[in-house]
Amino acid sequence: MSGLRSEARVALAIARKDALAELRGRHATVSTLFFAAIVLLLFGFALGPDSARLAAAAPGLLWLAIVFAGILAVSRLHLLETDDEALEQLALYPVARRAIYAGKALGGLAVMLVLGLVVLGAVGVLFAVDIGGALLPLLVTVVLGATGIAAVGTFYAGVTVRLRAREVMLPLLMLPVLAPLLLGAVKATSAALTGDPFGELGSWLQLLVAFDVIMVAAGAATYGYLLED
Amino acid sequence: MKTRILGFVAAAAIAAMAIVSLFVVPADLNQGDAQRVMYPHVASAWLGYLSFGVTALAGILWLWKRDLRFDAVALAGAEIGVMFTAFAIWGGMMWGRPVWGVFWQWEDPRLTTTALLLALYVGYLLFRRLTDDPARRATRAAIVGIVAAVDIPIVHFSVEWWRGLHQGATIGSPSRMLNPAAPMVFVGTLLGMLAAFTLAWVYLMIRRYQLARVQMAREEAVRLERLSAARAASPRATVPPPAPHGPESTEAAR
Amino acid sequence: MPQTIYVSPRSLGAFDERPPAVVTADLARLFAGSPALAGVSLRVEPGATVALLGPNGAGKTTLLRLLATVIRPSYGTAQVDGLDIGREPELVRVRVAYLSHATGLYDDLTARENLAFAAEMLGTPEPRQRVSRALQDVGLAGRADDRVRGFSAGMRRRLALGRILLGSASLVLLDEPYAALDADGMALVDQLLTAWREAGVTVLLTSHAPERLAVTIDGSVVLDRGVVAETRGHGVSELPSALDAPSATRPQQVVS
Repeated sequence: MSGLRSEARVALAIARKDALAELRGRHATVSTLFFAAIVLLLFGFALGPDSARLAAAAPGLLWLAIVFAGILAVSRLHLLETDDEALEQLALYPVARRAIYAGKALGGLAVMLVLGLVVLGAVGVLFAVDIGGALLPLLVTVVLGATGIAAVGTFYAGVTVRLRAREVMLPLLMLPVLAPLLLGAVKATSAALTGDPFGELGSWLQLLVAFDVIMVAAGAATYGYLLED
Repeated sequence: MKTRILGFVAAAAIAAMAIVSLFVVPADLNQGDAQRVMYPHVASAWLGYLSFGVTALAGILWLWKRDLRFDAVALAGAEIGVMFTAFAIWGGMMWGRPVWGVFWQWEDPRLTTTALLLALYVGYLLFRRLTDDPARRATRAAIVGIVAAVDIPIVHFSVEWWRGLHQGATIGSPSRMLNPAAPMVFVGTLLGMLAAFTLAWVYLMIRRYQLARVQMAREEAVRLERLSAARAASPRATVPPPAPHGPESTEAAR
Repeated sequence: MPQTIYVSPRSLGAFDERPPAVVTADLARLFAGSPALAGVSLRVEPGATVALLGPNGAGKTTLLRLLATVIRPSYGTAQVDGLDIGREPELVRVRVAYLSHATGLYDDLTARENLAFAAEMLGTPEPRQRVSRALQDVGLAGRADDRVRGFSAGMRRRLALGRILLGSASLVLLDEPYAALDADGMALVDQLLTAWREAGVTVLLTSHAPERLAVTIDGSVVLDRGVVAETRGHGVSELPSALDAPSATRPQQVVS
């Protein structure tokens, strides 16, 4: 089984399988969304009640909520594979390792996109931020940010899924690596919301694209090794 | 023996550079004596980055060659790297306090990047401890080290970008900016300190590697011993030792 | 129960042209410092059906898992169809099917969906027909559209066997194939073994209870505490081991 087309088919098959399992049984997406909402409420509580201050902090709060909820989301997808040692079986199929990575990451991306969009809307409502005025750049930022979190998160979720201390190791390993993505996404969001006074929006988006490309490549190249034992 | 000589040379070099940086070089015109911390601080930071590069490269070599010695190098790099990075952060804080009035500030985010580097290392070391089997541990550590190392340039550039975009207004008053009294001497001292520290780094890496090898050898001896104990203990039929053109397969001769 | 079970044709070649199905050389594996397999040197002939016997902890499962490339060896080497498990595991995987204690099935998917996914992963030609056929062959056609979550252990095992039928392995590794099965299930396993034998597929299976092995196995290997205690019959033989050689040839300790 070789060739990019068959790899793509394999990745899609895996993503579809995850989507099916997720829709059927887990309701993980819903609880992750609620978690993000609670995080936002707590931010408001902790940093409020000055609405101006909250509105100014909104880009940061947005992305912190997405990242924290995202950690839960990506770990769920690998938890699926703990069903009766399914990951072990998955590793035995004669398919390219990076196709498995791509499949899991695609599933992660789908969840992260939903998460990002919902949280964006919630931030708009909770912190009185005018999303509609900068909708396109905000959407682009969410897509790029979601991709980066999915790429990095899928990798580290795979790395930690069989470890004893997985609940703490996943964020511990993932968060420092996500720092540049967090920076870029927050700056881009902030620039978009303020009408990009310094013309820096493009640069930040470029940073996000570079991050995404590099991290997807790194994840795809190394994911196979974590399936060894 | 050669390593021991290297150790002495490194120690002497550091002592010499310490004297130079503390007493010989003139103080900075703006930042005063506080600036002297910069010499070891910058050297340490650089060696922190170098160490992580070594760890990542050693990880790649392990995945390729499957020789556990590479994993020993990776471990040494991570531990030595933690040391130098932690020292760099401490130095940065010591420098910041008199110059900026605070131990930590965010406008010049290089302190934050170094802190992130430390976080990546510490994560790597903690992660290593969760696996006992040497080969499995080496593989997992290698991929975590590689992905972290890939991230470091991105962190660096994103933060430089950030600084660049917010230049000037936020760095603080011009009177606080670096202003060496004798620029050539300043650069020379920096390089000298860097050279001295690098010698020390090489020495420490060698020693840590040797230590790791000794531990590996001990682990290996235990494993081999358990293996032969298991073979001796079980009631297996003996197969005649291989003769030059011995038979391929035999039934037991009890 | 169907009369014949569909086993994928794989151009295996004439028996005398094929390399041995399995050759191991001092294959050993430790877990947490403790040897599960302490040096096994075996040769299994192509097309043979061989039983792996021995008490708990003898290393039977570990040997199967090493050959299936689920785990890597600590020491020693092994070849499957001439391919090295350490250096070319991806190529080995194409040729090997493995039934483990855990079935690796997704609880929230139906039996059919699980097999359909497997078929996509395995690259099975005509996947929908093959999936239906496999479900029929293992007697789960009636439960095809039920979620696996509700399945008993025996049904899961059957489904896992159905998954093996979707591939085209030349070496089938079965860990306790009769466990958790009722009389019908065990008869199914017997039928499968017959079908594989006819197709020239090499089968290695473990069992706690050799008396149950009603089918004709060609030979057996008895493992005890990680080493070969004896071999019986045809199809499998023990090879001389380097580990028993005088200590001059043992691996030296490495200190800087």
